[in-house]
Amino acid sequence: MAIVDPNTGLTRPKAPIIVPDQAPDDDLLREFGMEEHPQGGFHGLLEVIPTKADYVLDLIRANSLWPLLSGLSCCAIEMMSTATSVNDIDRFGMFPFRASPRQADVLIVAGTLTTKMAGPLVRLWEQMPEPKWCVAMGTCTTSGGRFKRSYSVVQGVDRVMPVDVYVPGCPPRPEGLIYGMMKLHELVKQRRGQWSTYVDRGPQRTRWEGDVR
Amino acid sequence: MEHVRGPRPAAHPLGRGRSLTTPVAVGPLVRLLTERLGTTARGLWTDADTVEIQVDGADNVEVLRALRDDDELDFFFLADAAAVDYGIDAHFEVVYHLYSSKHPAWLRVRAHVERGNPRIPTITGLWEGAMFHEREMYDMMGIVFEGNRDLRRIYMSPDYRSFPQRRDFVLPDDAADSAAAGVNPLERPETWDLDRLRQAPGVTFPPSEFRDDAPAEGPHDGVQDGETATDKSRPR
Amino acid sequence: MTTTERPPIPDPIDLDRAEEARLRTAAGLSLTASQRGGEYAGFEDIGLPDRPPQTEREAEVYSLAEGEMLLNMGPQHPSTHGVMRLVVKLRGEVIVDIDPVLGYLHRGIEKLCENATYTTVMTYVDPMDYLAVMHNEHAPAMAFEKLYGIEAPKRAEYIRALVVELDRVASHGLMMGFLSLDMGGLTPILYAFINRDEVVDLLSAISGQRMLFNFFRIGGVNWDVNDEFLSRLGTWRSHVLKNIEMNEHLITDNEIFRGRTIGMGVLSGRDAIALGVSGPNLRASGVAFDVRKAHPYSIYRELEFDVITQESGDVYARYLQRIAEIKQSIHLIDQIIDRMPHGPVQAQVPGIVRPRPGRAYAAVESPRGLYSVYAISDGGPNPYRFRMRDPSFISLQALPKLMPGHLVADTMAVMASFDPVMGGVDK
Repeated sequence: MAIVDPNTGLTRPKAPIIVPDQAPDDDLLREFGMEEHPQGGFHGLLEVIPTKADYVLDLIRANSLWPLLSGLSCCAIEMMSTATSVNDIDRFGMFPFRASPRQADVLIVAGTLTTKMAGPLVRLWEQMPEPKWCVAMGTCTTSGGRFKRSYSVVQGVDRVMPVDVYVPGCPPRPEGLIYGMMKLHELVKQRRGQWSTYVDRGPQRTRWEGDVR
Repeated sequence: MEHVRGPRPAAHPLGRGRSLTTPVAVGPLVRLLTERLGTTARGLWTDADTVEIQVDGADNVEVLRALRDDDELDFFFLADAAAVDYGIDAHFEVVYHLYSSKHPAWLRVRAHVERGNPRIPTITGLWEGAMFHEREMYDMMGIVFEGNRDLRRIYMSPDYRSFPQRRDFVLPDDAADSAAAGVNPLERPETWDLDRLRQAPGVTFPPSEFRDDAPAEGPHDGVQDGETATDKSRPR
Repeated sequence: MTTTERPPIPDPIDLDRAEEARLRTAAGLSLTASQRGGEYAGFEDIGLPDRPPQTEREAEVYSLAEGEMLLNMGPQHPSTHGVMRLVVKLRGEVIVDIDPVLGYLHRGIEKLCENATYTTVMTYVDPMDYLAVMHNEHAPAMAFEKLYGIEAPKRAEYIRALVVELDRVASHGLMMGFLSLDMGGLTPILYAFINRDEVVDLLSAISGQRMLFNFFRIGGVNWDVNDEFLSRLGTWRSHVLKNIEMNEHLITDNEIFRGRTIGMGVLSGRDAIALGVSGPNLRASGVAFDVRKAHPYSIYRELEFDVITQESGDVYARYLQRIAEIKQSIHLIDQIIDRMPHGPVQAQVPGIVRPRPGRAYAAVESPRGLYSVYAISDGGPNPYRFRMRDPSFISLQALPKLMPGHLVADTMAVMASFDPVMGGVDK
């Protein structure tokens, strides 16, 4: 729900914002004229004129993005280096690297994503509550990187999840990662990331090849 | 400071034949090996710091036990156990590297494994630490270690079906040729918005040095008008 | 007023499961194990295979007696060792058995190297043991030099030893930080990363990169030391011993640290050799095996140093061993700086190296143990077989031997004391 009711002087907007954790009422949504997605679910852009309160909410979200501890490989060491005293990311509010995805805002995929790890990583992404953003740190997550021809490396994290910011480098310098997080702040404040146009397709239980279940 | 010498001449550009590492005394080791192992060890070969013997796959436990338990040989540390694939018409090899405090050289034991039925006894009875080595060799090459209590895949998923390090397992040559090509819209040229891309190039090219009004990039050989310049360096 | 009978509110988890079953049958997939029922029904919630165990050992670990449970310390966990999965069989808090599941970072480096030239191999082996990168490159450089039949100039060997010892200082300092982080002490990791950042800035002055250096070449190293490196090295050397001692005093005599690490995870020397453990872990169990002394390579014959060992094989001993090795490495760096000769830093090799057919084996002492490369050449521009033996991979076999009998909370302490790096474990 928007924090402030939409401007009552104008006509009522066609599409209310769907909060995915509430059970959607399909008939009501069709009555409202929401667009139905072919794979199930409804989607609508935020058709509210953002007011100052929304802006403050976005500012709050941007300045306290809590990353998930999801270091996979060498970029994780540079992420830890960004988090510790010399390049301190705590000044941007990102000190608590949450171990549990339920408490995290941003998933910084730091390190090579392999096909075996793709299943658990997507499960982590699904477990994160919205609003959530994804930062692909390093060239391995952007495009497969130096393991471009490998048989077990996913050629870029955007093959399995929506990415908001790509930070190139192998590994990116801590200053580079901080620059990426500044870009993410811009996205958060302008509601420009993938989250704002998220399509709710219902519970997904995609089975990955090699997923140990 | 006598240890700081003047400038040295550059190393010979084709430095072949020079000493590789400081040669170690392998004589006693070679003598002991021929005495203790006899005909089981074939193909004795020495290098500056390594001694190599070849054995049949079925004899590997016996040979390694002799090497480990003998007082004068005393190869107590298994440094490495590797698998080599010599081609689809040839055989496999399981190569063990051993270290002994009594001999200054590394000992390499090459055990021959048939490719059609790649089975070899396990050495986890001798060194427990060979378990992960053997699991990895099974996972990557498909060599079955008889008697190994835990021969399952270690790197790939349990339901993976190939053996990646075999010679007939070919890597996908390029992401464009693999089955997952085009999943990413950036890999599909029809989704590129050339007008938007031309507005602000991420990389700036210097203009041609001959003419001021020349295009920034050089001539594209073999690219027809209207095509994107693709890589024709090899057939795809 | 009559009470109306309300239909029971369905449990959301049942709605989820019904939805999932519907989706799966619509997609043509079979039902999951929990939907089929049977004896493997509950395991998929913790990600266990929903099929019969394939091996004896797997059956041993995954069959539960009365009062036992399986806990999955999954690939993503707060310990900072990377993506490793431990399936721990518990009776209450006490560990009964443990099964490490690896491969979540397997990138196929050995296979990729078979299609790369000998110089490109350096870029592939860099991200293996990403905390001690120079050692990753040292072993292949030595093996390829043996294959090609060339020797690196003396100055190059000295520079190699210098950067290798610098990397060892950084890596051991990080282990100290990670050990306390895994036990809940959040301060020493900050100091460890300050140390690491100093060393890494030093190495970036000489190689241009903070972490994956790509600095070694066949026949030497890529660049010579420059003024900036030397000045930073002088500054670093003047305060590093004080810093290390300060960091050491943070935790060495700390009562909580001692209580949690002394007597924990004791590994005897005999077991360590049988398991293939090497490096500081082996020396902390009393076995004086150091590749730099046992099979000297590079310039280690000319440097003076002892092989340090500890007697107890517990976590505290492994920690003390690494602190002692940091000081030993600083002593080695002093000797190297004193004795470094002038000269070229790389032998002349062609761009694409084509060694003669042959086999070569080269082993170095990495901060985690014996790191070795076995390379086979067939005369062409690519190695025919490039095999790396990573020490952390082999050290992980000690976990199922050491952990049973301890509490769950000690898992991380023991694992951190072995200091595995998943990049090397999974290649």
